[in-house]
Amino acid sequence: MSVALPIPVIQLLQVLTVAIAAPGVTGIIAKVEARLQGRRGPRVLQPYYDLAKLFRKEALAPEQASWFFLAAPVIAVAAYLTIPLLIPVLTSYGLPLGYMGDILGGGFLLALASFVIATAALETSSPYAQLGSSRAKTFSAIAEPVVLFVVFTVALLTGTDLPYALAATIRSSAGQIVRPGHLLAAAALFMVILHETGRIPVETHTGTNEFGMIEEARGFEHSGPYFALLKWGSELKQLILFTILANVFLVPWGLAATQQPGAVALAIVALLAKATAVGCVVAVIDNSFAKLRLFKITEFVAAAFLLAVLGVFTLYLGGG
Amino acid sequence: MTLAAPASAPGVYQGAANVIAAVMLLLEFGMLRQALARDQIRLYAAQSAMISVLAIVIAADRNLPDLYALAGLSAALKVVGVPLVLRRLLGGTVSDEETPGVAGSYTITPATAVLGGIVLAAYGFFCFGSLGIHGPAAPATAWAIAGAMVLVAFGLMIVRRDVASQAIGFFSLENAISLAALVVAAGLPLILETVILFDGLVAVVVFGMLIRAHHVRAESLSTADLTRLRG
Repeated sequence: MSVALPIPVIQLLQVLTVAIAAPGVTGIIAKVEARLQGRRGPRVLQPYYDLAKLFRKEALAPEQASWFFLAAPVIAVAAYLTIPLLIPVLTSYGLPLGYMGDILGGGFLLALASFVIATAALETSSPYAQLGSSRAKTFSAIAEPVVLFVVFTVALLTGTDLPYALAATIRSSAGQIVRPGHLLAAAALFMVILHETGRIPVETHTGTNEFGMIEEARGFEHSGPYFALLKWGSELKQLILFTILANVFLVPWGLAATQQPGAVALAIVALLAKATAVGCVVAVIDNSFAKLRLFKITEFVAAAFLLAVLGVFTLYLGGG
Repeated sequence: MTLAAPASAPGVYQGAANVIAAVMLLLEFGMLRQALARDQIRLYAAQSAMISVLAIVIAADRNLPDLYALAGLSAALKVVGVPLVLRRLLGGTVSDEETPGVAGSYTITPATAVLGGIVLAAYGFFCFGSLGIHGPAAPATAWAIAGAMVLVAFGLMIVRRDVASQAIGFFSLENAISLAALVVAAGLPLILETVILFDGLVAVVVFGMLIRAHHVRAESLSTADLTRLRG
């Protein structure tokens, strides 16, 4: 006799898996990176200890900051935790809330989170936080056309812009995997993810060097639990982007096709394995290429844009 | 939220041919933005290797044993031969120290060059695509990509002010034409394919002599120095 998990529980599990696993994935990447550099590196669980420590600390805010400064990290994490409802994290079939937003909906949520953090940074009147937020906004605006063209490719491939539909299309036949349109869009998305998670081309994601600082600088004035939320938020964003890349574009296999607890548990393990694999690839890339100077970022984004545009072109003639 | 019927997949063989063509176009863009001559030569060799792979894929799919021979010949000449000759011609200094006049011979910044290249590629792509050439061995997309590659190769020769890049642009133009020939007329007699290949070799010799002459006269590979020849 088989037990079926209720749909709302599976939907909740999608959010919980991402929420709980995100710091772990960051820890694994940090470990791999340290090993590549010949260091022993921090424990894999270190990000959890960091978060626990920060949550216990006192929170301070600059005098001139308004309530929004403290609300921003909470709004950002709420936005990040909504996205796992929209994308195939554990199941290959669409969950009820999965259709309340398409890829653009997910994009809007990511943009909203980034926007509130940047606005909060502006409230502080700290030059570094403002520098970080202004850079983050400028560079994400540059990367925006790439994301749009990736969405166009998905639309041309599937006739919809739902992530579940693309994953199903790719699973349907080998011919769908080797289409240049799909491969080019996946490569472009991967480059955007490298850019968005602050791996390459200019930022050291853990760096405290102001010249190359983008994301890290935005949280300079936050402290205690609010800073913990910001850190957790960027770990969530990383895992969400990895999940989209793996479960929608690259390897949409290993997802649960039924509501059996066993299948769902297997899907959780598969997701963690895929995210770790993507993370290891990212760490290797991060360690093999020199960082570019800040203004060279356009060259990197132009290359990603090229991939995405070619993806749309090849699909236009029907053959791609 | 359905937009239109999804485009049906063209099958594994056509998909593979299209992917190889797309990779060749990307390598062309790589040559466009690469600053150093030795990296451009490497990319050219990789592009030539891709065309041999494509010949093997078509040979396997369409059962044309001639193409295996062509793939081997083209690999020997374009993956090994031409890059070797080019490295020699650039004074043998390429591996140690960059030949003067090549790095920084951009007339526009690399990002602008790539964006301009995208426009050129789009133009070539849709022009060739609208010709409506379809054959049993011709994935329409690969044919259109060959058109895009031709224009991007021309773009490479235009935006760079050094003879090495211009020669590499010309040789990759020949790769683009080989790609078009392969996808449209895979069953072309081997002798004709070989003739086209050796046509390219003549160009290598001519370009080689020009590079040599220019290098000896101007002690640089930059064409900007040619203005000094006036009066």
